[in-house]
Amino acid sequence: MTGGRTRRAGVVLALAGGALGFLAVLLWPAPELAPRVGGLPASPDPALDVPAPAPLERDPHLAMWSVVERPASALSAPGRGRRVGRLRTRTPEGTDNLVLVRRRARDARGRVWVEARLPVLPNGTVGWVPRDALGGYRLVRTHLVVNLRRFTATLERDGQPVFRARVGVGLPRWPTPRGRFYIRNKLVRYRSTFYGPLAFGTSARSAALTDWPDSGFVGVHGTGRPELIPGRISHGCIRMRNRDIARLGRLMPVGTPVTIR
Amino acid sequence: MDSETRTRAVAPPGQLAVPERSRRSDFVKRGIVAGGAALAGAAIAGAPRLTDAAQLSQPDLRALNLLLLVEYTEGAFYAEALRQGNLTGAVLEYAQVVADQEKQHLDAIRSTLGGRAEARPQFDFGDKTSSPGAFATAAGDLEDLAVAAYNGQGTNVTADVLAAAGKIVSVEARHAAWIRSIVDQPPAPEATDTPQSADEVLDGLRQAGMRT
Amino acid sequence: MHDISFDHLDADGAIAEAAERAGVVSRATFLGGALGGSLTLLGVAGERAIAQAPGPSDVAILNYALTLEYLQAAFYTEAQRMKALRGRAAEAADVVGAVERAHVAAFRDVLGSKAASRPSFDFQGTTEDQNAFLKTAVAFEDLAVAAYKGQATRIKASSALAAALSIHSVEARHAAWMRYLFGVQPATRAFDEPQSKQQITRVVNSTGFITNTPSTQGSRTPRYTG
Repeated sequence: MTGGRTRRAGVVLALAGGALGFLAVLLWPAPELAPRVGGLPASPDPALDVPAPAPLERDPHLAMWSVVERPASALSAPGRGRRVGRLRTRTPEGTDNLVLVRRRARDARGRVWVEARLPVLPNGTVGWVPRDALGGYRLVRTHLVVNLRRFTATLERDGQPVFRARVGVGLPRWPTPRGRFYIRNKLVRYRSTFYGPLAFGTSARSAALTDWPDSGFVGVHGTGRPELIPGRISHGCIRMRNRDIARLGRLMPVGTPVTIR
Repeated sequence: MDSETRTRAVAPPGQLAVPERSRRSDFVKRGIVAGGAALAGAAIAGAPRLTDAAQLSQPDLRALNLLLLVEYTEGAFYAEALRQGNLTGAVLEYAQVVADQEKQHLDAIRSTLGGRAEARPQFDFGDKTSSPGAFATAAGDLEDLAVAAYNGQGTNVTADVLAAAGKIVSVEARHAAWIRSIVDQPPAPEATDTPQSADEVLDGLRQAGMRT
Repeated sequence: MHDISFDHLDADGAIAEAAERAGVVSRATFLGGALGGSLTLLGVAGERAIAQAPGPSDVAILNYALTLEYLQAAFYTEAQRMKALRGRAAEAADVVGAVERAHVAAFRDVLGSKAASRPSFDFQGTTEDQNAFLKTAVAFEDLAVAAYKGQATRIKASSALAAALSIHSVEARHAAWMRYLFGVQPATRAFDEPQSKQQITRVVNSTGFITNTPSTQGSRTPRYTG
């Protein structure tokens, strides 16, 4: 009925008015609470999406290497002892000479020395070099394992095998040396079918071929005679089929530690 | 070449060259001396050169007034804490140095705004300054709020005001990390400092003790 | 010592171009800051131009920031791996390193194919000794604060500015933290000063921390034992 509707409308209006008044008190701050800072826009979305910081993972499969920046003698102990090797800055192949670095220590004068695996005879020599003879540290996660009895070469990354190939190794009179070494350089785009399309140089030396040109470093390379693989066939180098060395060339960075068993 | 010469310290440009290790008690002496020199020539040496108040845009004015409230609050907070006299040791040193630096911030902003500066509000910090522990927590929170306030206004202001505010916000962030280091809390746990809007900052200031 | 490569600090070639226009021949000399005002490429006057996506000048600034973040991230990460730090310094390296790595990831993500590549570093023992580490960390963080501050007014896109500001204050926290650990006052003045890209570049240059990538590949015919 009209009267009822009017009463209801009146009640609604009164309630609305009361609500508005209530809201007005809430939304319209008293003058002393309204500093002249209104109307400032909020910041735009930032252009960068920064992920949550993550701690460094413990990584037992890392190895570190460093370039030899200036000629240095490597000693048997930090800052003392006998000389166990001389380090040059370049390799016979014209690349930067490098060493695998293991740990560091201070000598009695507080100078930092680094224990490094050296590309010198006898094979497997480690020695201490002054920190300032070396450049920055570079990391590798890979490890090449060569098994002379099984004629295999396996590349591991972060401890997992990612590559395996059959290999030819040194003849009995020119055996591939056993022990721990590292990849020192890589040669590509040369003309030689004997070595295949690419060749890695290691820090291992032939103990037998002491008058080999360029000091007789053991390499890992391709071959023009794949039919000889597997077998004891070389002067000490580790040979693999050309398609295998090509793949290894994509997977294995210089500095990779090499274990030959 | 021995390892001493190798480990070259980089002298950061515009800052004091990184000094050799000093005892902590030198903090205060070094800081107050530097602060005093800056106060003496506030318009020349330390205070940021801002444009004439007449050249400030509307957002500049509003943003500066917001930041003025932040600096009023910080100034009043440190003054109250020092007046109550409950602080000792490293926390006291912190409060003394920072109070001086916050005063310089306040003076710089207020002088830029001139007659357009908001009036100083009232404050009631309750028991936030009643003990070193309470003070340290409140100080860290307030400095964090200041960083968020400055960062929140950086995109609203013109270049000159941004340049000036930029010189202040990093000092507020240093304060935050400093007091947290003293009380063994994470000085910088986040990868970014999230900005806060003017309304959020006003809320934060009221929680910190600003009245009106 | 290897020659220093500055490509990473000048990813869009703007500084090199200005150097050539100014008649400077070699890359090496422009870093002496001899070009002064001609290098102020982007004065921002009055109102800020609001741009939606980072334009080329913002890309150059982001790449400059990325290079400094690469430097810091590599420094802290190497320090963690060297295991030469103890106690609170070790904890700080862990936390700050994680943050700087996150910064690197963020810049690389937004820059995509335009991201500067990661330089090679030689920290010359500063990651291998606690005292040297702290001294260097203080310098790096103070440097980062001044570097970000020096670029803020040159950034065009407000989204990029917002991001830069949110990182700039974190670097200042790091600076205060490292100063505290080293035993010096975390905030020495009421106002921190900006530094220009030229000034920052000169300082970074002087450390010798950024080096050329080692030359480990050649093309001579092998003379391995075969």
